[in-house]
Amino acid sequence: MKTETIISLENVTKRFPVGEGEFTALDHINLTFTKGEFSGLVGPSGSGKTTLLNIIGSLDVPTEGKATVIGHDIASLSHKASAKLRNHHIGFIFQVFNLLPVYTVFENVEFPLLLQNKTASERKKAVMEALDWIGLADYAKKKPNKLSGGEGQRVAIARAMVKRPEILIADEPTANLDAANAHSILKMMKKLNRELGTTFIFSTHDEKVMTYLERIIHLRDGKVELDERIKNKNQAS
Amino acid sequence: MIRFLWKGILRDRSRSFLPIIIISIGVALTVLLSAYMQGAMTDMVDQNARFETGHMKVMTKAFAANQSQLPNDLALLEVSDLLQQLEKDFPMVDWVKRIRFGGLIDVPDQEGNTRGQGPAIGMAFDLLNPQSEEVKRLQIEKSIVSGHLPKTVKEALVGHDFAEKLNLKIGEEITYFGTTMNGSMTFQNFKISGTIRFGAAALDRGAMVVDIQAAQKMLDMQDGAGELLGFLKTGVYHHEQAAKISQAFNDKYKNDPDEFAPEMYPLKAQNNLADLLDYADMMAGILVFIFVLAMSVVLWNTGLLGGLRRYKEFGIRLALGESKPHIYWMLILEAVIIGFIGSIFGTIIGLAGAYYMQIYGIDISDYTKNSTMLMPSVIRAKITPIIFFIGFIPGVLAMVLGTMLSGIGIYKRETARLFNELI
Repeated sequence: MKTETIISLENVTKRFPVGEGEFTALDHINLTFTKGEFSGLVGPSGSGKTTLLNIIGSLDVPTEGKATVIGHDIASLSHKASAKLRNHHIGFIFQVFNLLPVYTVFENVEFPLLLQNKTASERKKAVMEALDWIGLADYAKKKPNKLSGGEGQRVAIARAMVKRPEILIADEPTANLDAANAHSILKMMKKLNRELGTTFIFSTHDEKVMTYLERIIHLRDGKVELDERIKNKNQAS
Repeated sequence: MIRFLWKGILRDRSRSFLPIIIISIGVALTVLLSAYMQGAMTDMVDQNARFETGHMKVMTKAFAANQSQLPNDLALLEVSDLLQQLEKDFPMVDWVKRIRFGGLIDVPDQEGNTRGQGPAIGMAFDLLNPQSEEVKRLQIEKSIVSGHLPKTVKEALVGHDFAEKLNLKIGEEITYFGTTMNGSMTFQNFKISGTIRFGAAALDRGAMVVDIQAAQKMLDMQDGAGELLGFLKTGVYHHEQAAKISQAFNDKYKNDPDEFAPEMYPLKAQNNLADLLDYADMMAGILVFIFVLAMSVVLWNTGLLGGLRRYKEFGIRLALGESKPHIYWMLILEAVIIGFIGSIFGTIIGLAGAYYMQIYGIDISDYTKNSTMLMPSVIRAKITPIIFFIGFIPGVLAMVLGTMLSGIGIYKRETARLFNELI
């Protein structure tokens, strides 16, 4: 199971125009991610972490090379097809939880399923299950402004996971959380990774996150500096 | 998804409140002005129909050609037979005889010398026949300022302002000077039974109202009438029906070379009313267009501000896998819902104003006192079924147009910047 390649990056290069020149954000990246990995991209600002996440998340396309995500060549997808890929197969978690403020917790988590045209009963079942995973089933009717930072991020995880995506992309998910909440969130993600087989890819500077990762990819100046598989104390959490 | 949008609209007041206010104001103005124009046009058409044109009018061809001169020497004769035929052929129409005539009114003093004189516009209606609907149709009793309806052929009503000008009193005698249909002079004394104000400057200036029999005798028009007016029994002018009846009637006489042969005209073909009504329709269209345009520009701006405020929301939705066209169409659907809500409020407000204007109206008599056109001196709004819906056109259209323009920005959004924007 763990050997099934879910993401394949071959000589992926991304350049951005800067003035009359170009800035190379990713420089011939070659990486593969297998199903169920719990991995992270680390590196200083400008190293290419976010650009790489954008390509994996079908939010951007490479300038050169080939990025294949769940069998889809990212560069060949139309806007609509990449939106569909995100909606069905890729979940996102941001630094801040980015919940839609006028909707309840239930409705926020329900939203990706609305886009999939699931029936009301299917949606209700899936949302309550997702809220159960994060331990916030009782918060279904609350508005985001009544949630703490940790609770908000847990709801964001439920929203990302409710559609049971193959890949979950998390950009600095613990950056705005205290240590206790950060550990709680990471343990929950690890549990979901193990139980649902979802591939997690983090972008992080946070040492706490790194203690949970099975694989850390160090990026510098758009290149893979080091790709290490590690045994961490929190991996079994 | 509709439920999701609906909740967003209800809960996020800043998303819906300002657009609803703008639309409500625009729709209320549209409804009010449309009802007002409708009222003005309906009153004008109605007044023309009642006093001058009928829903259809029968005249001799020669009379029709010189109508503005009231040429009673070219009037219809043997109208009893013609009326019988018309009633038989077109039973859905109520036919009446009318005579209009010009002349001079002389007011004598106690010694029989002239105390005052003035030109009169005479109108003869079937006032004394109890079966006739004319008194009711012309709302003569309602228009009497003082005195009463003529009870005999020797009595006449005169315009209230005319009576004041000549210092006439109820019960006084006046003498009419004019010409008969044969061209000889005629004099006839009438007793003033009352004064009248129709509410149309062109009628009120020198009005003199007598019974049709009195006019026939006075003008030597036995069994004659200047015009036969037809009123559809439904009471409402229906152009297609009137045109069809006129066509059917005229077909019978189309090969008759006699200039005294009768000819029928529907209301719209008289007094340039067709042009006036088309002009009114065009003005109503322009009015709605201006409101749509003005509101669209305001709502475009509102949409741009809303787009900035909801920038993050659209980013989240894009990240969650909603496509740009889907967000755009959802925004338009949202605009339709908001447009409908604003239109409902605006229509209610506009209808309330229109109802007030329907009851009280606006007095324009100061502006029409020198007018020769038959138009009411108090213009009232009129609430018709279309007024309940007309506001929805600018209301929904403006909101949708404004959103379509402002929503284009969604297509320019770069998904590659979402991670940076959603911090």
